[in-house]
Amino acid sequence: MRNLKTDYFEDLQLFKDGLQLFWSVVFLLLLFVLPFFVKTYYLTIINLMAVNVIVALGLNLLVGNTGQISLGHAGFVAIGAYTTVLLLKAGVPFIFALMASGAVTALFGILLGIPSLKLEGPYLAIATLAFGLAVTTVIGRMDFLGGRMGMNVPKIGLGWTGLKYDQSLYYLIVIITVLCIIATRNLLKSRIGRAFQAIRDSDIAASAIGIHLTKYKLYSFGISALFAGIAGSLWALYLGFINPTLFNFILSINFLVIIVLGGLGSITGSVMGAIVLTYLNLQLEDVVDIPVLGDLLLRFSETFMTTTGVSNVSWFLTGFILILIVLFEPLGLYGLWLRTKIYWKRWPF
Amino acid sequence: MLGQLIVSSLVVGSIYALLALAMSITYKASEVPNFSQGEMAMISTYMTFVMLSSFGLPFYSAMLITIAFAFLLGLLLEFLFLRRAKMPTPLNLIVITIGFQLMLYGLAGWKWGSEQRQINLPFSESKVIYQNDFFALTELNLATLAIAIVVLIVIYLLIQRTKLGLAMKACQQNINASKMNGISANRIMAITFGISSVVGAIAGVLVAPILTLDPSMMWDPLLKGFAAAVLGGMKSLHGVVIGGLLLGIVENLFGFYISIEFKSVVAFAIIVLVLYFKPSGLFDKHYLRKV
Amino acid sequence: MAFFHVQQLRKSFGGLTAIDKLDFQVEEKEIFSIIGPNGAGKSTIFNCINGLYRPEQGQIQFNGENLVGKRPDQIAKAGIARTFQNLELFAHMTTLDNIMLGRHLRMRASIGAILGLSFKRSKAAKEELTHRKKVEEIIDFLELESARDQFVSNLPYGKQKLVELGRALALEPDLLLLDEPAAGLTQEEREDMVFWIKDIRDLLGITVILIEHNMQMVQNISDRILAINFGKQITTGSPEEVLGHPEVIRAYLGEDITQAQ
Repeated sequence: MRNLKTDYFEDLQLFKDGLQLFWSVVFLLLLFVLPFFVKTYYLTIINLMAVNVIVALGLNLLVGNTGQISLGHAGFVAIGAYTTVLLLKAGVPFIFALMASGAVTALFGILLGIPSLKLEGPYLAIATLAFGLAVTTVIGRMDFLGGRMGMNVPKIGLGWTGLKYDQSLYYLIVIITVLCIIATRNLLKSRIGRAFQAIRDSDIAASAIGIHLTKYKLYSFGISALFAGIAGSLWALYLGFINPTLFNFILSINFLVIIVLGGLGSITGSVMGAIVLTYLNLQLEDVVDIPVLGDLLLRFSETFMTTTGVSNVSWFLTGFILILIVLFEPLGLYGLWLRTKIYWKRWPF
Repeated sequence: MLGQLIVSSLVVGSIYALLALAMSITYKASEVPNFSQGEMAMISTYMTFVMLSSFGLPFYSAMLITIAFAFLLGLLLEFLFLRRAKMPTPLNLIVITIGFQLMLYGLAGWKWGSEQRQINLPFSESKVIYQNDFFALTELNLATLAIAIVVLIVIYLLIQRTKLGLAMKACQQNINASKMNGISANRIMAITFGISSVVGAIAGVLVAPILTLDPSMMWDPLLKGFAAAVLGGMKSLHGVVIGGLLLGIVENLFGFYISIEFKSVVAFAIIVLVLYFKPSGLFDKHYLRKV
Repeated sequence: MAFFHVQQLRKSFGGLTAIDKLDFQVEEKEIFSIIGPNGAGKSTIFNCINGLYRPEQGQIQFNGENLVGKRPDQIAKAGIARTFQNLELFAHMTTLDNIMLGRHLRMRASIGAILGLSFKRSKAAKEELTHRKKVEEIIDFLELESARDQFVSNLPYGKQKLVELGRALALEPDLLLLDEPAAGLTQEEREDMVFWIKDIRDLLGITVILIEHNMQMVQNISDRILAINFGKQITTGSPEEVLGHPEVIRAYLGEDITQAQ
């Protein structure tokens, strides 16, 4: 039996109750000790998931909480990545490169926010899409950015931790991700987060209570871009090599799918969506290697389809799963999670 | 040279116009831009290919079957997926169309692989029909323009002069009132998607000789078609058509005189610029909500 | 100089003139009602005051400033709050959050400070809690305790209207615009609303302008009334004067009945 709340602060504090605190600590400890128990390969998967979480947090702020749309978020990730690589090449320590990338990307976010002030729906969608396209095209044309061939990412000095490079990178990424989650949560519970949601629910009323629409929409774009920039910076480290084709329209769609899949407007949703979709994408890349199903697939392909094109099944399945989620659980994975919790709370009734 | 440029712009522009029209028809009805429009057109075009090569049908029969197939495909999207959404917010419906797009893309790649195929339309690309000092018009050019114009006229007549068109307009403007007046809104919605799919399929078949048939054939055209629709004003049918033609012209002129690489980006940039001054496109009315 | 003065206001939409040569004053701590048949232009007046519409002509003088041309958020800052005829609540938020949004202007925390929200000692948390107390006072005042943590879309209509009122009060405005506060309420809710509006003026010292169709309420609480029709003023005065005015009766009841009288 949970205690009744006695203090207004309980609504603000990070952990709802002792139970949540306990499980969060357990989870964090698990993440902490993981590098000593598992192969590096699994660490890199978590790194990828974490980077996607950061982008999802930012995008969800913009789309789920402020009610805007962005089909060009890959552009922000690109800006973050390239800024970091340039600065690292110039000898700037990574921590400053990271902050600078975030700042530069945020600036671009505010820039993109300006047309957003008047546009809605498909009109805004096209504007953001144009942005994403412009970023990759311009990067592809600039030789000092490596042009279409791309650039190598210098390895950063993580030796001082005494751990292997991959383990240090893992800690770096995971810690930053956790900080981003806390920051997002605080933001959403504050006046700024509320202002975002007000704009989403009724911009007329929001304006009538004193919310300067322009300022807050630009904030939303800026913060959302900031997150994407940080993620881009970390992703560049992870990949070791970047080129413009990485940051295409498909990537932007991927991010959108993550937040819809996970649950719009919810932090848990962003995290779950990122984890699940990253895993799904990885599994489907080598779909024929899945035991049992892979062979069935191959046999089916020989008779009805082509075997060369069998990797395309991943597209088919991703699309199908997407549709299923929207059809049956529009609140995304977070919605499923809530439903499950309520079911078990009430069990066996 | 300019003359030739304008001819090819108009040809490309009319294809953009068809795609823009297809998007606008469903957007007007459902407030959802159909992201799978391109893939639907692509699959329908593959159907034409199969009819022509595997079954050896004459072109016009193949086209008829393709049109029927495209219509059914549109019905399927609406009936099976869009209608079943529990929470039909615009973003959710967009995601459904994206899901459908991925499914079709995967299906096409799976079934036919990524090699480029040839579709032979009965219009020759090299035979020149008309020529003067400024430009030359090939049979294919003329056919493309003519077919596009015919489709536009047919759609116009359908919407303005038939009972079905009236029902479609009614559903777009006030779905509940339409239902209460005896219109089966569900059926009309399905038919709307079917019609838009047919328009898209025709565009796809016209694109195939130019871009050659492969699963990702429609990505760029659809994007341009979408942009053109936005430029013209997504809810204005004549607006989107003009948007398509304009986009074709601007893009090609820029590509030729200034830079081929940046031509797509500039086209989009111009659209964003236009949107800044006219947030609902060139021809659409900007509605202010009454409080 | 009057507390609030609408001067020669004119607003058209294309060919339709919604309000024309509208001129009236409201005294401080008055309860001032605007009445008129549907389509007379009443909500248009509010939308012009609020900054949602921009009138072509005229001024709106409040506290020595002309409000015309300002954005809605600037007008909120100037001390004017409003409710909407068709309720503009934040549907995906709770009652508490809706009313907390009314405190937006009075809160100062910057983005940097907000990052420390989860720590009890932080500036942001302290500010949040101070304003939370104020919001709880409003919830208390409007008897919305049972609705506090519910999503407003789940509340019955009467309670939703109170939430919107609470949100407007949270701004601590000098002037409150109420757009049809009695519409859709039961008899009991209407009687409560009358008390609340009176309390808002008496206890909180807020000047109230309301648009209303319910003549009982209008008669009951107004100090003065403005009657308009077709965007033009018919008359202004005390309830007895206005409600007995032949033009006003004709506007509401039509030609034939007036003649039959």
